[in-house]
Amino acid sequence: MAEAAVLNANVRKETGKRRMRRLRKSGQVPGVMYGHKEETIPLAVKAEELWALIRHGQRVVDVRLDGRTEKCLIREVQWDVFGREVLHVDLTRVSADERIRVTVPIHLRGNAAGVAAGGVLNQPLHTLEIECLALAVPEAIRVNVQDLQLDQAIHVKDLKLPEGVTALDDPEAVVVQCVKPAEEAAAEEAEGPAEPEVIGRKAAEEEGEGEK
Amino acid sequence: MRGLAHRGNTVAFGEYGLQSLEAGWLSAECIEAGRIAATHFVRGEGRLYIRVFPHKSVTAIPAETRMGKGKGEPEYWAAVIRPGQILYEVAGLPENAARECLARVAYKMPFKCRFVARRPSVGG
Repeated sequence: MAEAAVLNANVRKETGKRRMRRLRKSGQVPGVMYGHKEETIPLAVKAEELWALIRHGQRVVDVRLDGRTEKCLIREVQWDVFGREVLHVDLTRVSADERIRVTVPIHLRGNAAGVAAGGVLNQPLHTLEIECLALAVPEAIRVNVQDLQLDQAIHVKDLKLPEGVTALDDPEAVVVQCVKPAEEAAAEEAEGPAEPEVIGRKAAEEEGEGEK
Repeated sequence: MRGLAHRGNTVAFGEYGLQSLEAGWLSAECIEAGRIAATHFVRGEGRLYIRVFPHKSVTAIPAETRMGKGKGEPEYWAAVIRPGQILYEVAGLPENAARECLARVAYKMPFKCRFVARRPSVGG
């Protein structure tokens, strides 16, 4: 379980596109804190500090603002087009005994037996939406695929979740499966080059032939 | 071409991807060349996803033809690429193999590309 980390923030008085661009250039990220029917506070946090929390998968943080500390969930992070910089962060106030909905990554562990038999591991679901206590958000859901044979799949309902954690995704959704690579390659070859057919031209040619 | 890729700019299906850093038209032949380069490398191990499709027809007037007489015939098909667009994705490969695979694909692309991993899932 991830422990709540500390995020130092300052109240942001200025708003607007140009001022926020200047703020980002100075190494800070604009954000906003809301929730629990309290006032919405625009704030600014250090980009490095926030990036470290995001990289380590922290979801619930202790936000230090004007000498007081509030427990917040990182609700939304806005990225630039290239996914290099964080543009904005949304923080929602949460209490320790509150159940929250979060999306956590699914990490695969071990080498699947089906891969050794010539299969390919296919993971359609990379994240899982869960409901859990705010203070008990798992960093990731780890799935052991060692016993996964060829043509077998692990579904959401098969996952071993930590205590107090409920999966909200479809229980029948496939998390990971081991498939034969030959079928994929054959299908790919059959498809041929990625070029659409010119329907209009063909139809016109056929019409022309019909007239003759 | 104006603007950036505000859609299709995240790795969605695989674990690693190739992101375009420039804008342009990516012809169906280029997409196919990239696919062949990647499948030769990942064959039997990982999976390849192509995130772009050549929807746009590009017309041209044949050589040594006088101007006029209407618009030219479709010459080739192309995908409109804006900076940030993910072109290819790979799954089921370790990072170093994925890097090498996508570097081979990038060599076939007519513009600068970079290797990207999935974004952290914090904050949706």
